[in-house]
Amino acid sequence: MTSTLPKGALHHSTVLITGATGGIGRAVVARCVAQGATVLAAGRDEEALVALCKIAGKSVHPLVYDITNEQAVKDAFRDIQKKVSDGLIPPLYGLVNNAGVMMESPLSVTSMDKLKLQLNVNFLAPYQHMQYAARLMSRLRKGSIVNVVSMVSEQGSAGMSAYAASKAALTGATKSLAKELSPVGIRVNAVAPGFIETPLTDHYEADARKKVLQRAVMQRAGKPEEVADAIVYLLSSQSSYTTGHILPVDGMFTP
Amino acid sequence: MDNQQKLQQAFTVALGVQPDAVTDSLQYNTIPEWDSTAHMILIAELENVFDVMLDTDDIIDMSSVKQAKVILQKYDINFA
Ligand SMILES: NC(=O)c1ccc[n+]([C@@H]2O[C@H](COP(=O)([O-])OP(=O)(O)OC[C@H]3O[C@@H](n4cnc5c(N)ncnc54)[C@H](OP(=O)(O)O)[C@@H]3O)[C@@H](O)[C@H]2O)c1
Repeated sequence: MTSTLPKGALHHSTVLITGATGGIGRAVVARCVAQGATVLAAGRDEEALVALCKIAGKSVHPLVYDITNEQAVKDAFRDIQKKVSDGLIPPLYGLVNNAGVMMESPLSVTSMDKLKLQLNVNFLAPYQHMQYAARLMSRLRKGSIVNVVSMVSEQGSAGMSAYAASKAALTGATKSLAKELSPVGIRVNAVAPGFIETPLTDHYEADARKKVLQRAVMQRAGKPEEVADAIVYLLSSQSSYTTGHILPVDGMFTP
Repeated sequence: MDNQQKLQQAFTVALGVQPDAVTDSLQYNTIPEWDSTAHMILIAELENVFDVMLDTDDIIDMSSVKQAKVILQKYDINFA
């Protein structure tokens, strides 16, 4: 599948992508590279990151850290700040808060640990990333942040209240920060995927998968590249008059 | 350029004020130019000119030019 965006939409721009070794993350890395971006690919699995960088080429730099480790996040941004000021990479223009965890569990059996983990990964860590990224972007009065939320958080889904709440928190931050950061030239948007074929949804058995897909008007699962295209659109100046928007990429799905 | 001059320059760039307005007594939110948006740009300017990355608690505490100097000293940026 090829992208329909004009080539070079992200030239002279650095884009930080979390969850870069995941299903959607890999596709976003590839799409950003194709648009001429310098990519900072963040993940926990060093081996997988190094392998990804080998495939994706010289414009991809690995950043190994757990996004829930506050000091590690700070160190990563310090590293980015130094690389930019040393002229090793272009200024940070884009942030894609893509890393996420999804744990299905009904209310009665959702442990506080599960709830906190999802809030940490899906909301607190992206929030901290936006705090640092906005600081770097504000100097140039230019930037674009794209958060990956979910149709589950937009519409709710039985058995997924903790996940939905963690992503809904990110939706709230997206809309609020779009208003707050607009004066410094930073746009903040989100994509809300439906059911996408990635390791996150691998565990669905054939029957369960069929039932889920019947709830999508398009009657099929989405591909990571389809989500990546929407993300790159929101990152690029193709969407220069769009901020605070939650873009569904879901084949019209009802969770 | 010494640190005092760098600090003054960061404030004038971020707030869009004249250099002589940047005195120790100048405080956050007391002039229209130093609002929350300018504060964010100010932090970015200070981090850039002094090559530091500030803690969020320090950003919250940075309520005046004088306080900015006190905080920057924690990052080994000294003012005569
Ligand atoms: N697939 C879908 O149907 C779907 C639908 C709606 C929304 N989404 C959202 O889309 C995003 C990408 O998901 P995906 O489908 O591509 O799933 P995935 O393949 O499981 O990717 C998730 C990525 O997040 C990373 N991650 C998780 N916790 C982390 C942590 N503490 N620190 C650093 N990285 C961490 C994982 O890294 P490790 O490999 O190290 O665990 C992995 O690379 C997620 O935010 C997800 O909620 C997906």
